[in-house]
Amino acid sequence: MSAAARLPDGQGSPVIQTKGLDLFYGNFQALKGVDLSITEKKITAIIGPSGCGKSTLLRVFNRMNDLVEGARVTGSVRLDGKEIYAPGTDLLLLRKKVGMVFQRPNPFPLSILENVVFGLKIHHMYRKKRGILYEMARKSLESVLLWDDLKDKLGRLATNLSLEQQQKLCIARLLVVKPEVLLMDEPCSALDPMSTSRIEELMQELKKNYTIVIVTHNMQQAARVSDEAGYMLLGELVEFGRTHAIFTAPRDKRTEDYVTGRLG
Amino acid sequence: MNMNPRVTQRIAFSALLFSTLLVMVPVGMVIVVILKQGAGAISWEFLSQMPRSGMRAGGILPAIVGTFCLVLGAVCFALPLGLLAAIYLSEYSKDTFLNRIVRLAIINLAGVPSVVFGLFGLALFVNFFGFGASILSGSLTLGIMILPVIITSSREAIDSVPQSFREVSLSLGATKLQTIRHAVLPHALPGILTGTILGVGRAAGETAPILFTVAAFYLPRLPGSIFDQVMALPYHLYVLSTQVPNVDSGIRYGTALVLLVIVLLMNAIAIAIRAHFRSKKKW
Repeated sequence: MSAAARLPDGQGSPVIQTKGLDLFYGNFQALKGVDLSITEKKITAIIGPSGCGKSTLLRVFNRMNDLVEGARVTGSVRLDGKEIYAPGTDLLLLRKKVGMVFQRPNPFPLSILENVVFGLKIHHMYRKKRGILYEMARKSLESVLLWDDLKDKLGRLATNLSLEQQQKLCIARLLVVKPEVLLMDEPCSALDPMSTSRIEELMQELKKNYTIVIVTHNMQQAARVSDEAGYMLLGELVEFGRTHAIFTAPRDKRTEDYVTGRLG
Repeated sequence: MNMNPRVTQRIAFSALLFSTLLVMVPVGMVIVVILKQGAGAISWEFLSQMPRSGMRAGGILPAIVGTFCLVLGAVCFALPLGLLAAIYLSEYSKDTFLNRIVRLAIINLAGVPSVVFGLFGLALFVNFFGFGASILSGSLTLGIMILPVIITSSREAIDSVPQSFREVSLSLGATKLQTIRHAVLPHALPGILTGTILGVGRAAGETAPILFTVAAFYLPRLPGSIFDQVMALPYHLYVLSTQVPNVDSGIRYGTALVLLVIVLLMNAIAIAIRAHFRSKKKW
């Protein structure tokens, strides 16, 4: 693709870098030559109309596309400088480092505590030490601002919480395995505006410690929360740069059409 | 002739209701008849004693114990095997020709007449493997018979676990096996249990599969090992009804009642489990 993609104004080190990334579902090419760089401890938003490949791009970073039969990736995708599609990549370690928050809050129908420590169980961490498990759950729930509300209800069924609390719980469930990058796939699309704004506040908190990539079809949300943004259309990353620049001075006509509301 | 649509509607409704009620009649009759004729025979002695005087007196304890052993053995064999097969079919197998054959085989296994299972058990377990007529042979035969029930219901239960549970687990860095173990099976367990209990109910009531493989005509003692023959309720009932002259009908119906209660109890437990977990389920 064209030179539209460029590295953002060199502050912070890149965590994820792609170069000439193509992704095919069988014969259909879902991503076309994507070049981008995700900066450490920043929020990067990927925007674009439905079906443009933004979720697909997100699922490249933790290789969740591997689950789709016939999905094939070519090009370079580096996490901390290492090719994640190279043979011999430890998929489990990759996914531990690069966690994902899904569109619909999806806690397990288990207690709140069991949900938070699920990842620890998987990774055999602190398995037999209930005290440490509890302490980890506390830290994790504190960092998603749920601890004060839920500390006396840890035994309750997580699926009875409000959607906002459920989504925060899902983030807590992720934080407990100590990821570096949080991928958020339209994390607020099931939430009302008030809940959405509280999740956005939380994201600002989280970016102090984590690198966040958020996919959203809500342009205002991207404008509000992100430091850097990319606009995708039909599998192409049309433009990528500082959020402010994308929204106020897009260089590509197609980006302009989208952010000014002529398309979408 | 043109009929008033409202009249047509009423006639149709009556016909549907009548048919539904008619369906319930046999079920109700069976229960009423068995209960009426058999309840008098039920006593602690009847349930806890050996049969005496050529089964014309005494209790049916060995048949109850025998049925219990057979069902337990069948489950011990069929549940692990069926569950593992169900996990493979649901979580691992791709839609290949071979797998379609396997699925077809399982469906057809459910349609095999039970007496055929009996003959099969006789040929394979009793004669070929040399287990003789024994609890082992009978349990294995019954186990094979209830395999399709267990596989089918386990698959349904596994398939009904939302895909998002698997995605979350994998995205947290779990292996596929861990995902199945921690994110799928716990949520499929109620369905698996329900299917197993329905299978147990079926195994408890079948006569033909145990006819050649384990059932003893008259054996007034309790089994000592899995290589012993035992009496079993359905076969005992058959014997009482056709092979022994001058049996008091109370004993016959009493035996039928015990068998009926066991089977209905199994089904009731299955329904209760399902209802309990359905009320908790939120996805």
